[in-house]
Amino acid sequence: MSNQRVSRRQFLNYTLTGVGGFMAAGMLMPMVRFAIDPVLTAEAGGDFITTGTSEDELSETPIRVDFTFEQVDAWYTSDVTQTAWVYLDEAGEIVALSPTCKHLGCTVSWEGRESDPNRFFCPCHNGLYEKNGKNVPGTPPTAPLDQFEARVGDDGILQLGQVVPNKIV
Amino acid sequence: MLWNAKEIGLYLKEKAYIDTVIVPILPISFTDRTKQEAEQAEFITLLTNLLEKQFKGRMLLVPPFTYISGKGKGETEKLQEWIEEFKENQFEHVFCLTSDIEWKEFEQDLGGNLIWMPSIPLEHMEEKYKRKIIDDQVNQLVKLIVQKWQTN
Repeated sequence: MSNQRVSRRQFLNYTLTGVGGFMAAGMLMPMVRFAIDPVLTAEAGGDFITTGTSEDELSETPIRVDFTFEQVDAWYTSDVTQTAWVYLDEAGEIVALSPTCKHLGCTVSWEGRESDPNRFFCPCHNGLYEKNGKNVPGTPPTAPLDQFEARVGDDGILQLGQVVPNKIV
Repeated sequence: MLWNAKEIGLYLKEKAYIDTVIVPILPISFTDRTKQEAEQAEFITLLTNLLEKQFKGRMLLVPPFTYISGKGKGETEKLQEWIEEFKENQFEHVFCLTSDIEWKEFEQDLGGNLIWMPSIPLEHMEEKYKRKIIDDQVNQLVKLIVQKWQTN
């Protein structure tokens, strides 16, 4: 045991400072958390879904990017996997095209038929699209392929958002 | 195209473009094969759904042809009836997908394309491998179907 005597006054001082400190911290912590909150959540904002592909993997040749998210449809929750064809245009901007054919909704693929290099091909009714998604006249599709909103997160990973009508054709 | 009110509406409008039916064939029974048959149902359902997604604009996925397994030949005639019905309604290509080996011997009598796939136990598989394996299987089927389309 220690020989130092703690007086009643000292004991009360210590306890009150301790408890007071905790109370002050309890009040201040949430305030600080609120103040820095925008900084912490900036990453996850919006409806963008992070894919498994980094920016470095992209080139002028479209590559297939699969991404999965959870979708709630009435009483049924499911993991939905979507695909995008992603490439860099001449200006280095990311272009992410939806693979859904504008004719009747089949899935198109890049250079899907050997006789048509540098085009998207739909195997169902031989629809063709140029690299930028423009439908080739004389094939069944009547509109260009839709686009995904695309951006790169701070970590260099590609993020894809909503499907929007093609803006580059 | 799926067999639901919304997509059938589109089918009725665009009939001329939709010439292919895909029929999942699923056995049920309560014997020592029950577990295996449940596994087959899971596998075949997954495959047919992915195929439908790929070929939405030309392929109609109908509700599965389901039967009590081990009851013999009556089922073949029923399936023949299904296939005839599709053919009479301008479906030029009928693909039946099954994991039940017993259909193999009736393949010639059916009048459609019977595709037999050995089912894979997906139950204990990791998500990543599951996806990879299923993707491979689907890709093979995609090739097969496109080939059939091109030959006639």
